[in-house]
Parts: sequence; structure tokens; C-alpha cells
Amino acid sequence: MSLLRRKHENVPPDTIEPPKSTPISETQPRQHVSISGRVIRMTARPTSGQPALLISISDDTGTVTAVWTGRREIGGVTLGRKIAINGVPVMRGDHLEFTNPNYTLLPR
Amino acid sequence: MNVIIAGAGSVGRYMAGQLQDSGHSVTLIDNDSVVVAQGRATRTPVGVTWCLGDACEVATLTSVGAAQADVVAAVTGDDEDNLVVSLLSKQEFAVPRVVARVNNPKNEWMFNDMWGVDVSVSTPHLLTGLVEEAVTVGSFVRLLSLEGGKARLAEVTLAAGSPAIAKELTNLGLPRESTVVAVLRDGHVVVPRGDTVLHQGDEVLVLVTGGVEDDVRRALVG
Repeated sequence: MSLLRRKHENVPPDTIEPPKSTPISETQPRQHVSISGRVIRMTARPTSGQPALLISISDDTGTVTAVWTGRREIGGVTLGRKIAINGVPVMRGDHLEFTNPNYTLLPR
Repeated sequence: MNVIIAGAGSVGRYMAGQLQDSGHSVTLIDNDSVVVAQGRATRTPVGVTWCLGDACEVATLTSVGAAQADVVAAVTGDDEDNLVVSLLSKQEFAVPRVVARVNNPKNEWMFNDMWGVDVSVSTPHLLTGLVEEAVTVGSFVRLLSLEGGKARLAEVTLAAGSPAIAKELTNLGLPRESTVVAVLRDGHVVVPRGDTVLHQGDEVLVLVTGGVEDDVRRALVG
């Protein structure tokens, strides 16, 4: 919401501070959370024959994955890019996974 | 377990009753005020919590505690609604298990993890399977798909010429990716062991994973 308002007020994008994020190691399954980190892995996979983009995001404390269904790429999301996501993660094997989280590209 | 059921039609109410009876905590959501009022007034199914609202709205799902739910079942008579409920449950609440009902078999291809569905149940497909099962002896009938088709429950009624007759299960040469889960014989269920010997007329239920269906067919049908 605040992003929208700022856009409306013509605040230059580089003055938007990144959303407050939680260290990945403190993230709990099924709790709504914002995290930020670098994209360390990207996989486009067919999910039951349908596209999905899977990325791993890492900060100094750990790694999570995020899956966006129905697409194989997102403009601006590249390896090494700093990104913030928020959503509700679920425990998948030994790591947390977000499904279709909101994302914000952060300055490099 | 904490179960939320979207859609209080005959399917939803029946499920709610059964699950409540087996000790689960069930919430039923429906957007028809008459249905909800009736359910509350008559207290059927017993013990179920009713919620009047649109299950396709995040606010409704939040109010019934989807964030803590173990299972969400989307069983309305509308496939679009079922998909929306499934996607929201997975995406916004990370519900571990999402079950969805397929009304029109044409839509079944969409009921997968892309839409947050863990398990889909299509009544028409199930009925076709059961009809096939009743009319066919000696052929391979798929009854149920699990995990988006990665595992299948199939059934074979052994005809006279089956290569499996008079053999012990361990000697059938079934691939490792499959297992016999039950043998129905003369109205009884035989729990299969390695030394169970198959007879003509046995209904053999097999769980098949991966691409080994043809091998299973060869071992049981010939």
C-alpha cells in the first residue's frame, strides 16, 4: 500500500526504503513474513506439464525458496539480484517455500 | 485435525458429519444464508462450526482460522470457486493439505499444484472407473490417481488365462515401483503377503507409481 501511495506522490523510486525484513533463520512456517536476500539459484520447471519459476533466496542466515506458478521468468529477477519477498511460507523438506509471494526488486 | 470445508451442499455436509464423527474439528463455509441458518438451527451435522460468507475471500478464510487449518476441502458445485479457494488456501495460508472437488471432468487438468491443489477428486472419473471395474474381467482398470497422477490405484480381476494364477505374490515379477495392496476374494479382503497365492476371479488392487503400469499389466493380465 505504501508503495502505491509513494508512487502517487511522485517520490523517486530510489528513496523507497526496502520493506522491513526478518532474518531467514527466524522465519517460521505458516507465519506471514517479509524477507530479503540475494537470488542464488533459479530453476524454471514444468509442474505437471505447466510452467513454474523456482528461485532460492539467501541472506546471511539461511536460504528459502519461492515458487511462482504459471510463468518461467520474471522481468528483473536474475541471479545475484537483491530481492525482498513477503508471503506465507510452508515447510518443504528441509527448507521453507513461498508460493506466489509478493516481491520487490531492491537496489543492487 | 482442523478442517475447513468450503461449500455446504450435500457433499460438504456429508464430509463435515463424517469428519466430526471421527473426532476432527470442522468448519463449514457457505454463502447461502438459508443453508447456513438451517444448519445452525437444526445443528446438523452435529458439532460443526458454521460460517456464512464467501470462501473465495481472504477475509472469510482468515475469520475461520485458515492460518491454523490442517486441511482445506473445496467442494462447492463450481469448479472456478474450488480453484480460487484452493489457491488462496495454499498461497495466503500455506495450508498443508488442500483437497478439491472436480465437477466437470473437462476441468480436471487445472486441479494441480499450480492452483494449490494437493489432491483432486473427480466424481465422474471415479464413476467411470467403477463402471469399468464392474464390467471388465481380465483387464487393467485405473481407480484413483494420487499425487497428480504420480501414483495410481488400479484393479485387475484375474481371468482364466492370467499368468498370475496359482503364483505366490513374490514370484509375480512385479516391478519395485508397484505393490499389491489388497486382494478381494469371494467377498473377503485378503491382506497380501509375499506367500499369498492368487486364484482366478481374484480382484487384485495394485498401487502403481512411475511408468511401470505396462509391466504390472503384463504380470497380471498377460
